[in-house]
Amino acid sequence: MTLRLEAVSRLYQQGDQMIRALDDVNLELGEGEFVALAGPSGSGKTTLLNIAGGLDRPTQGMVWVDNQELTRMSRSRLAQLRLEEIGFVFQGHNLVPVLTAEENTEFILLLRGVPPGERRANVRAILKEVGLEGMENRKPAELSGGQQQRVAVARAIAAEPHLVLADEPTANLDSETAFALLDLMEKLNREHRTTFLFSTHDPRVMKRARRIIQLVDGRIEKDSPVVGAVLE
Amino acid sequence: MILRIAWRNLWRRTRRTLLTVSTVSLGLALLLISLGLGDGSHRQMIDSAVRMGVGHLVIQQTGYQEGAEIDRTLAPSQVIDAESWIEKQRSRFPIRDRLRRVFASGLASSADGSTGAQIIGIQPEGEMRASLFDEKLIQGRFLHKEGADQVVLGEGIARKLKLELGEKMVLMAQAAYTSEIQSKLVRVTGIIRTGLEQFDQMLVLMHLDTAQEFLGLGTSVHQVAIFLEDELLSEPLATVGKKELPELEVLHWGEALPELRDYIRVDDGGNYVFHVFIFLLIAFTVMNTLLMSVLERSREFALLDALGLAPGKRFAMVLVEGTLVALLSALAGGLLGYSGHLYLHVHGLPIDAFYSGDISAAGVTLDPVLYSDLSFNRIAGSVSLVMILTLLLALLPALRAARAGNVHLLGNV
Repeated sequence: MTLRLEAVSRLYQQGDQMIRALDDVNLELGEGEFVALAGPSGSGKTTLLNIAGGLDRPTQGMVWVDNQELTRMSRSRLAQLRLEEIGFVFQGHNLVPVLTAEENTEFILLLRGVPPGERRANVRAILKEVGLEGMENRKPAELSGGQQQRVAVARAIAAEPHLVLADEPTANLDSETAFALLDLMEKLNREHRTTFLFSTHDPRVMKRARRIIQLVDGRIEKDSPVVGAVLE
Repeated sequence: MILRIAWRNLWRRTRRTLLTVSTVSLGLALLLISLGLGDGSHRQMIDSAVRMGVGHLVIQQTGYQEGAEIDRTLAPSQVIDAESWIEKQRSRFPIRDRLRRVFASGLASSADGSTGAQIIGIQPEGEMRASLFDEKLIQGRFLHKEGADQVVLGEGIARKLKLELGEKMVLMAQAAYTSEIQSKLVRVTGIIRTGLEQFDQMLVLMHLDTAQEFLGLGTSVHQVAIFLEDELLSEPLATVGKKELPELEVLHWGEALPELRDYIRVDDGGNYVFHVFIFLLIAFTVMNTLLMSVLERSREFALLDALGLAPGKRFAMVLVEGTLVALLSALAGGLLGYSGHLYLHVHGLPIDAFYSGDISAAGVTLDPVLYSDLSFNRIAGSVSLVMILTLLLALLPALRAARAGNVHLLGNV
């Protein structure tokens, strides 16, 4: 899946002030890319990810996912697109509090109408891969922050979306779990050519990316491939 | 999944959900009990009115209802026609009794004075089966076969004329079909208290044959009263009667006693206002709970939106929550209300503690104990109404849930 942002700007009103979260951003991601979005806090990383996933609309510019322009889509159509094509990992863990880890992970599969047997098998396998075996029946409140983050990642990738937008996916995770998660993301990227765009502050995570986009004050300051990254 | 999430959402704040369900249930229970007592008291009033004189239906000469003129009688052939029609209806309607009656206004005199009298000629054996006159006897005995000169007086008229059992009095009335005044010497065999003071001050009951002879009616009567096993069949039978006996006046109790019918309507109107208040209480409670529940989950709805749960499904989810609240409340409130009704149906609610003396309304004596009477239609109607109301009230919160999708609630900008 490809992602293209054309001259995207996003302005917010904050009291009397206008905040320019994104400023004339142009960006193109090809199918199967594994891209890190770097930059200091407040540089517009989350805004860019939200706009790329159709969760937020730009003040100016256009957003294309494959051949579909997002800014003119209805909310229902956008929800449908997210359900079928895009996986999200949010900065906060953002799990449904009344559902167990397993139910949270299978949520999208269920909405997509995947048969129960297949759904359960997929979910159990992914939860095992993210190290949550045996915790399937725990509700978010019974999991640690790191465990909740793993459930959020498991949910995002369980349905094998074509594009994964992840906001600090390894935040709150210890190194071992963070690398296990990155392994999983890379595997999905490699095997299914899933496009990944994830924001991070963590230099260890950036090293795993094959391209790094540096955002500063809402503008792309630098967009370059990682030297030494293993490209297919 | 939507049902599962909705169900779990309800129990996220157990105390609040229980409080809401309790309020709606209590409202529904109160509604059912109020309806049961209202319907029960009306039915008791109708029964009392029917058995104290009118009957469930009356067949009389056209125009008799309007003026009650003594000449407007049912001719003997019409009485026979009316009675054979009634017999034919027995296969379709549970008819308990049919009774002939005559009525006249007159003057009653004793050695101590005179007063107006309402003379009613009745068939004592039939009245003892169907009406309440004999049960209201406080002195002496009811009319019996022997003794054409015997009368039963209302307590008030006996007191006015200072008459005791066995004493004589003179009745005077205009005879039918002539302008002559007839008089008759009669003897008091019993005194009754119907509880209706005005009625008791005028009531004179006598044998039908004696009254017919006294009033020069021959074998004509003013009315054939019909008593049914079920009051609710009065109107359907009257409808058949109006169609099949077009030359006669066939009236159900509501038409024969318009003041009672109107009283019940007004009383029902008052009850409906009370019920509206109950519904408003339910409405605010449900609306408050669902709206609060949706507002405090704004972040969660934004998340569901981000995960691809379409606005329609989020709308449905809140509606399902409303439906579950409605179902739980209907179940609990229905059971509670029905239990209350059963208790009041068997043991009744004594109202005599609040009043002294007899209580009457719209010319009918009220039973000192009110008994609940609740039909299936009333229960089904109330439960459905509460459910529909709850669902309607869930629409606004559901709409908010459908529109919720503020991405800023999910993380930093």
